[in-house]
Amino acid sequence: MFSVEETIEVAVPVSAAYNQWTQFKSFPRFMTVVKKVEQVRPALLSWTLGVGPVHREFQAEIVEQEPDSHLTWQSLERHFVHQGEVLFRPTATGDTAAGTTGGTAAGTAGGVADGTTGGAKDRTTVTVRIEVDSPGATALLGGLPELVGRVVQRELRHFKAYIEGLGAESGAWRGTIRGGRVRPEDPKPQRSRVPHWPVG
Amino acid sequence: MPMKKAPGEEPNEALTVTPPKKWAAGVPAVAHALEYSLEETSVRRTGETLLTMNQVGGIDCPGCAWADPSPGDRHRNEYCENGAKHINDEATSRRIGADFFREHTVSELGRRSDKWLNQQGRLTEPMVKRPGSDSYEPISWHDAFDLLASELTSLDSPDEAVFYTSGRASNEAAFVLQLFARALGTNNLPDCSNMCHESSGFALHETLGTGKGTVSLDDLHHADLIFVVGQNPGTNHPRQLSALEEAKRNGARIIAVNPLPEAGLLRFKNPQKPSGVIGKGTQIADRFLHIRNGGDLALFQGINRLLLEAEDSRPGEVLARDFIESDTKGFEEFAAHARTIEWNDILAATGLGREEIEQVRDEVMGSQRVIVCWAMGITQHKHAVPTIREIVNFLLLRGNVGRAGTGACPVRGHSNVQGDRTMGIWEQMPDDFLDSLQEEFGFDPPRAHGLDSVNTIRAMREGRIKFFIALAGNFVRAAPDSEVTEEAMRTCRLTAHISTKLNRSHTVCGETALILPTLGRTEVDIQADGEQFVTVENSMSEVHTTQGRLKPASPLLLSEISILCRLARRTLDGTADIPWEEFEADYGAIRDHISHIVPGLHDFNRRVTRPGGIQLPNAVNEGVYHNDVGKALFTANDFAMLQAPEGHLLLQTLRSHDQWNTVPYTSNDRYRGIHGSRRVVLVNPEDVAALGLSAGQHVDLVSVWRDDPDRRAEDFRVVPYPTTRGCAAAYYPETNVLVPLDSVADKSNQPTSKAIVVRLEPVASPASVSTG
Repeated sequence: MFSVEETIEVAVPVSAAYNQWTQFKSFPRFMTVVKKVEQVRPALLSWTLGVGPVHREFQAEIVEQEPDSHLTWQSLERHFVHQGEVLFRPTATGDTAAGTTGGTAAGTAGGVADGTTGGAKDRTTVTVRIEVDSPGATALLGGLPELVGRVVQRELRHFKAYIEGLGAESGAWRGTIRGGRVRPEDPKPQRSRVPHWPVG
Repeated sequence: MPMKKAPGEEPNEALTVTPPKKWAAGVPAVAHALEYSLEETSVRRTGETLLTMNQVGGIDCPGCAWADPSPGDRHRNEYCENGAKHINDEATSRRIGADFFREHTVSELGRRSDKWLNQQGRLTEPMVKRPGSDSYEPISWHDAFDLLASELTSLDSPDEAVFYTSGRASNEAAFVLQLFARALGTNNLPDCSNMCHESSGFALHETLGTGKGTVSLDDLHHADLIFVVGQNPGTNHPRQLSALEEAKRNGARIIAVNPLPEAGLLRFKNPQKPSGVIGKGTQIADRFLHIRNGGDLALFQGINRLLLEAEDSRPGEVLARDFIESDTKGFEEFAAHARTIEWNDILAATGLGREEIEQVRDEVMGSQRVIVCWAMGITQHKHAVPTIREIVNFLLLRGNVGRAGTGACPVRGHSNVQGDRTMGIWEQMPDDFLDSLQEEFGFDPPRAHGLDSVNTIRAMREGRIKFFIALAGNFVRAAPDSEVTEEAMRTCRLTAHISTKLNRSHTVCGETALILPTLGRTEVDIQADGEQFVTVENSMSEVHTTQGRLKPASPLLLSEISILCRLARRTLDGTADIPWEEFEADYGAIRDHISHIVPGLHDFNRRVTRPGGIQLPNAVNEGVYHNDVGKALFTANDFAMLQAPEGHLLLQTLRSHDQWNTVPYTSNDRYRGIHGSRRVVLVNPEDVAALGLSAGQHVDLVSVWRDDPDRRAEDFRVVPYPTTRGCAAAYYPETNVLVPLDSVADKSNQPTSKAIVVRLEPVASPASVSTG
């Protein structure tokens, strides 16, 4: 097992960064490795990743999701098992812009300043942590932790460019997920959203 | 196109019995599908139907309601043996018209078998049987609509009319039918759901607030443990085997629960894969529970009791306490009741050993994601609704709803049976739906509940129904108590069937009877606004298009929607502000109105044409329960056990493998080793001996019911078979005659076709059965 942690600071408020992140289906627009995302349900996602001719599909369950705070996931496959979390934090006052930083638990640390400057107002730190439990793949590809770290770092930069370029999120899902279950936003939700009569 | 010749006479086949198969599908499935298809139609038409079947923009297989994989994950051949047979049964090159009906009187047709009637081919022109006549004769569409409208407008009350829907009907046709019935002034809208999953709808609605299943194909692929209960996917939903195969590849275990060790439950040879062609295939069931008919309530009560006791021993480790606290109601009452169920009763009702049930408990406790699939082995019992409620209790105990890889999966048969209900085909539609109709179309829909299938037959028997029209289907063969049903149907002043092929319902006529031939799903549908498509909803709530490719069997055929819209125009004559002409010209106009009325189908026209269509949301998966308590509901269900008196057996009716609903394609059932005859009763060998019978003996099946007259199915052959002790099985529709009309499930009013008390009366001409 190995883990990877990457961080980036984006120049939008937490809610904008978080909201944009919930628009999973749009990820292929700005990410390079993510080729397709289908949201079967709010807590169930199908991902297609690809590099060159190699494509890999997997499904993941969102286990926890809290608006403007975090989400955690776990893969549902038997092979290449992974889980992780994405954290959204307002950048603390007085912090210097960090750009992207990251590393693996194996010690491949190293921040990469991106040249962004300015105060902490309306800025957000996005952190991605991934734990991969795939002994076979790790043994086969000795540099896998570093490779995953580099890919995540690059995709975070794409995310940053996209959300900062837009200046505001393109959509939002503000629901909450606990233990893999969507928690209703409203304790008395609209009864008419779906057909609710018995089906024989 | 050359017309293939239909069999003129019924073949005289001999019964042969071979050992039941231990695996399903494989190369023989492909061979049988092609053999049947090529008997019915040409190579070109077979190719046109099969290669577009279940593909984006193609024909949705009418064979069953199993969901299709995502558009990018579909095979080039995304169909099963039974679907291929079914679609080419419709695409047949055989035709019947006026000449056929001149040669065959109604009485003569009434003596023909279901198989023979189906084999005659596609209906090509409207026909009428006039009062006092014993023959159908041609009638123009214009005169047919006049006849129907004049009958409808002369009724003393709209409630003297009944509008039956089969699950083959599209969403658009179903919507138009219910709109017409309600604009006329009645909620008499029975459907085939009344006979298949009505119990599921009632139980799930009460406990989870949805009448539909909660799982998708993706959930099945990621479950740790899948129960397949009272269901025979190898014959009735063969593509489910592919999903189970994938689940197993992902590490799932499968527990099959059934009175018969069906081949499809044991092993699947996927003909799309080399391992299924030359290898051993995939073992499906890791554990098989050979349960007595109707023992499933007791089984889940036993498992639930064991789980509660396990929680007592290891507090906080077994039950999903947080979920039970936050999302459910009624746990304490349920738990207190569950602890009172006696083990002796559970073991007697199930026929299982306690150790077997404890092993199931252990499997459940080792699984984080559990799904329960079921079908008519569960729903067609007197205590079907409590059984499904107990399954829900089981799922709730460990939080197996609302998460990926978990949930309830009632598996439906007819391809659009779920969609028809979504469109409002139900005799008890809630006021908010009727309010929407009123707002959209400006008429006042009737509020009094109408008649379901069983109550329709009761009302006919009492002389309260004068007019019966069926949108597809074969009502008298699908309904219980065949003799009672047929006698009831004959009391009507007018009966009419919108049909593609001949079936027995056309021979059981009211004073006047009409056959209204219609386009099949395989055929191109061109209206004033151009080529049309229709939509259907599968078992997993995906709504998508289906569009035929073949030239219609006759230029005189009208689509179901055309027939209904023209009839509505002629009958209602402008009394309601409903644009029937526009509906007929452009089905998109129907969908526009549906989008205003049916929740979840907003922007219907645009969204449904996307690849994969529309996934209707399921509120349970969003933590919302649309039932009376607003939470998932635990229920305390009284123990129930089926027991036949001494010298009797509990009979279940079932399909053969070569059969689609009421239509047998051949007399064979190769998975069960039955060849050449459908008049067989499968009996446990120990029961055969205990009853003093012998293999191959001729017997009458006589059902015993409280009302008096013995119901008799004559001249069946006894076949020793590994059913559970005390339980027997025989094919429907031949044995529907044994199901008493009043023997229905509590609450759902669904016929109890899986638990009929019968005795086997030996009759003359005993013969030994050949074995091979």
